[in-house]
Amino acid sequence: MNRDIQLQRPAWLGMRRSQLAAALAALGLTISCALPAHADSKDGTFPTAEQVGGEVYQAPLKIGSILPTDFEAYDSQAKKVDFGTVIHGKRSLVVFFISAVPVSVNELKRIEEFVDKNAAKVNLVFVNADTVGVALEGGPQKAISSTASTVRLIAKEHGLKRPMYVAPNDALSPTGLSNRLAFRGLPTSYLVSDKGAIEKIFVGPQQWKKGDI
Amino acid sequence: MPISRRDFMKRSLAAGIAGAGVMLNSSSSFAARHDPVGEAQADFFKKFEGNVLLLPGKYNGTVSALDLAVPETLAWFNYGLTGVNMPIPHHIAAMPSADPYKGFDFYQTMQPPMSPYVNENSPEWRDRGDFKMFKMRFDGSGKQNSITVVNDVAATTGMALGVHVSIGVGENANKYVAFADGQKDMVLITTIDDNPKIVKALRVDYDPIARQVNVSHVFPDPATGKFDFQGRKGMKTSHEAMLGEELMPADPTAVFVDAFTWHPTLPLGAILIRRLGCCAIIDTRTWEVKALLSTAKGSPDNFPLVKQQGFTWTFAVPSVLTPLHEAGFLPSGEYFVACNNVLQNNIAVYRATDPNPLKWKKEAFVEGFGNKYLPLHMGNVPDSRWAYFTMWARKPNNGYIAKVDTKSWQVVHKWDTGPDPHTCDCTVDGKYMTTVYSGNQGGQSGLVVLNVDTDKIEARLPSAAGHHDHVVVPKDWEGMKASRSTSV
Repeated sequence: MNRDIQLQRPAWLGMRRSQLAAALAALGLTISCALPAHADSKDGTFPTAEQVGGEVYQAPLKIGSILPTDFEAYDSQAKKVDFGTVIHGKRSLVVFFISAVPVSVNELKRIEEFVDKNAAKVNLVFVNADTVGVALEGGPQKAISSTASTVRLIAKEHGLKRPMYVAPNDALSPTGLSNRLAFRGLPTSYLVSDKGAIEKIFVGPQQWKKGDI
Repeated sequence: MPISRRDFMKRSLAAGIAGAGVMLNSSSSFAARHDPVGEAQADFFKKFEGNVLLLPGKYNGTVSALDLAVPETLAWFNYGLTGVNMPIPHHIAAMPSADPYKGFDFYQTMQPPMSPYVNENSPEWRDRGDFKMFKMRFDGSGKQNSITVVNDVAATTGMALGVHVSIGVGENANKYVAFADGQKDMVLITTIDDNPKIVKALRVDYDPIARQVNVSHVFPDPATGKFDFQGRKGMKTSHEAMLGEELMPADPTAVFVDAFTWHPTLPLGAILIRRLGCCAIIDTRTWEVKALLSTAKGSPDNFPLVKQQGFTWTFAVPSVLTPLHEAGFLPSGEYFVACNNVLQNNIAVYRATDPNPLKWKKEAFVEGFGNKYLPLHMGNVPDSRWAYFTMWARKPNNGYIAKVDTKSWQVVHKWDTGPDPHTCDCTVDGKYMTTVYSGNQGGQSGLVVLNVDTDKIEARLPSAAGHHDHVVVPKDWEGMKASRSTSV
């Protein structure tokens, strides 16, 4: 699967109403109880395989393709940012991690130390590629602020100096961050040129060596 | 109004006599099991005689034993008494008992509080809760029923796993119990005695670069005889993939092991691997990995073994067409069924009678669930005529229970029992299917009893405990085959 296909507007957006009608009609044959309305959430549709790359593990983004940067992003103070400006014109290492994956959090300091020592001019940024659980703690409106708080805590406890960001992810949406960028395992790091083209992709913790970046 | 001492004594005496009269009518007021004779609902509920249900409360920290024939709670226990701060009783399995009102043993797993409900890595939550497995005992032999801890299996073995627990049946009856966990991707088999012994542990890891799955035996420290996987040690991900979240970013090696289910007639069991949409079939005599079934529609029946090196079996998994959630056997042993979900919402049906699982073939798929309803949990009936499945859905949809004819593999009835439906488990006589719903740990929740023959909803009982699982105490080892051993 190539990047161009990933960036297409998904067909399901146009099909939702008909699918909803079909599903409700099918259910209506035998379910006697009406479904209640819950106004505070989405319609609960799951993607088809075709909408998220054909299978659980997608092919990675192609080397040489442009790393998408038009995803929703916030800085560590929960202020919305244009992520494109964060890496614009700079050779960058964009490291996606999540607070829920210890191996990804523990890798951040190792990456920072390696970059400081071997590639100090590289623009290193850390992106928490999801929001934390808040369903019983205030609901969706707390998601960004709580995640930013956790990101700040990680930076403090791991002694990280580089900027950290929060990028909400919906793994069940064809346009969700992890589906667009084709990652399932974290950390996943993208080394991109000053033009934004992907030079290398690193999946999982690495035995970093000179010349990697 | 002032009252004289004399009037007070007279009224007290009258009240006492009246109270005694009520007690005389209800002869069991001092018994540990209430006799509801004469009560308005007594005749209605007496058809459920012989059924004791165990109901763990996920976010209320308790387990309770429900006498469905009264109905009343026979006893309850708060796991906070074990020292766990914010206990989350997760999954459960009960040993058989000829008289569950007198006593029975059961197993309970526990996991820390986590996403999507709370931010498990915040300072407020990250040290709360624990991974645990407890062997528990209900004692109804006296005038005060009780539930007590028999063994902290996690402390005894050094391995703490927090998802499904299932007790051996058939050739493994009265021998083993299996625990599993999808944050550590491990399975532990122990003996069922009060001081359990480690029998075998297995771990599953994915290699995303080679696109291979490794299933390995894990061994305890020979010096201590224990593992070093208590608490959060060994955890790949700090929260379990929620229902339908198999696509979520996680540790690159994560596969989301969910359960070990037992073949009712052959010495085999299945490790359910959610993220990879596959099931490792294990020989329970040697604990060798015999096959890795690939349950998706359009995939081969199993993934090929690449190599076996020592105690690690490596399988090539070039493509994962869909994750799955649960998988298990019919009590007859004739079929193994797997609930594919998220990318394919169907139920794969393998014929599972051959002792060699490499010969198991997918014979049918139960389909028609659309893209909102995920086949999730499975409930059996003793004669294997029907299989019940929880069709879970995200908000704003409730989900529903589906009854499937195991001859045609068609859905023959559906019930919208309530929001966030979870497990199904049949009564000991096979006449009723019980099922719980939890309202996403905050909304409507309760227990529903379905009539297996008429499809009528017989009863609905409220519960504020947010049940994610439950079990009916089986009456014997044969009855265990329709309990939460062959399926989860």
